[in-house]
Amino acid sequence: MAIQVGDTIPNTVLTYAPYNPEHADVCSVPQPMNTHDAFKGKRVVLFAVPGAFTPTCSETHMPEYATRAAEIKAKNVDIVACVASNDPFVMDAWGKAHGVKDSVLMLSDANGEFGSAIGLVNDGTKMRMGPIRLARFAMIINDLKVEYLGVEPARGVTVSGAASVIAKL
Amino acid sequence: MTIKAGDEFPQVQLKYIPFNAANPDACLSPQVLDTKKDFAGKKVVVVGVPGAFTPTCSAQHLPAYVAKADEIKAKGVDLIVFTSSNDFFVLSAWGNSAGVKDKIIMAGDANGDLGRATGLSMDFSKFGLGPQRLTRFAAVIDDGKVEHLFTEPDPSDVTVTSADNLLSVL
Repeated sequence: MAIQVGDTIPNTVLTYAPYNPEHADVCSVPQPMNTHDAFKGKRVVLFAVPGAFTPTCSETHMPEYATRAAEIKAKNVDIVACVASNDPFVMDAWGKAHGVKDSVLMLSDANGEFGSAIGLVNDGTKMRMGPIRLARFAMIINDLKVEYLGVEPARGVTVSGAASVIAKL
Repeated sequence: MTIKAGDEFPQVQLKYIPFNAANPDACLSPQVLDTKKDFAGKKVVVVGVPGAFTPTCSAQHLPAYVAKADEIKAKGVDLIVFTSSNDFFVLSAWGNSAGVKDKIIMAGDANGDLGRATGLSMDFSKFGLGPQRLTRFAAVIDDGKVEHLFTEPDPSDVTVTSADNLLSVL
């Protein structure tokens, strides 16, 4: 059963390669991030994409958040994060390709734990994308509780886009 | 069961985005690479890596093959394929960032079919990559038969799977 507004997000481990301003081109070692530890007491905008470097995600979804991250944070949001089923090295490279630096936290749910726990995954096997891929959605999470959830019903970016989220902040 | 020299290379479908010579920035439609049909009657070098955009793979493994691709093909190799457990979009982006163009087919094994069929996958969870990833290997396949197979004893290093070592056996 998929997560809903009012629910508490699951406590799972995601990974990310921390941004290092002194060595912006070099990949740092991926670190684990426990969702409850990292998000407790904070307001978080988390958007999920089916795949780094894929057309819709790269042309539409990510760039909107990258350019509007500061605007989002100005509305009482502590963290803007992107999560996908790709591994942390791929997420890091994709973030760098969009020049996000430390404005968007690029999170990896490579094991599919987070996606499975919230019930928002699809089987990408037919497309040869692997059996567990996060769906496209955006969440506003306040002290671990889901305040807003926009799950994209079809192709394209509407309720999970930066504009829709900003309207709810 | 793990594949070894002398075996038939298994038949799996990988996916890749072909290089668009006319307009390199525009993506062409993804194509299926069938490791039996597309390798028939050909000499193929297949290199498996744990992860696109990872340090060793990006700094050491792929660039050497890009630089020596022509030299490898001059020794009678028809196709060079790089593959990993990433999906084909990621492989394509990685290839673009390394200037691969059409020298190497960057094919994704996101479904894990090749890893399962060859037995060449490992648990890379402690590196943050996940429980089932292709390990680092390089194979020379002649008309479907594995002529040489090198598996890196320590997958975070590049020794026997390097382009230079492949050239020495071709």
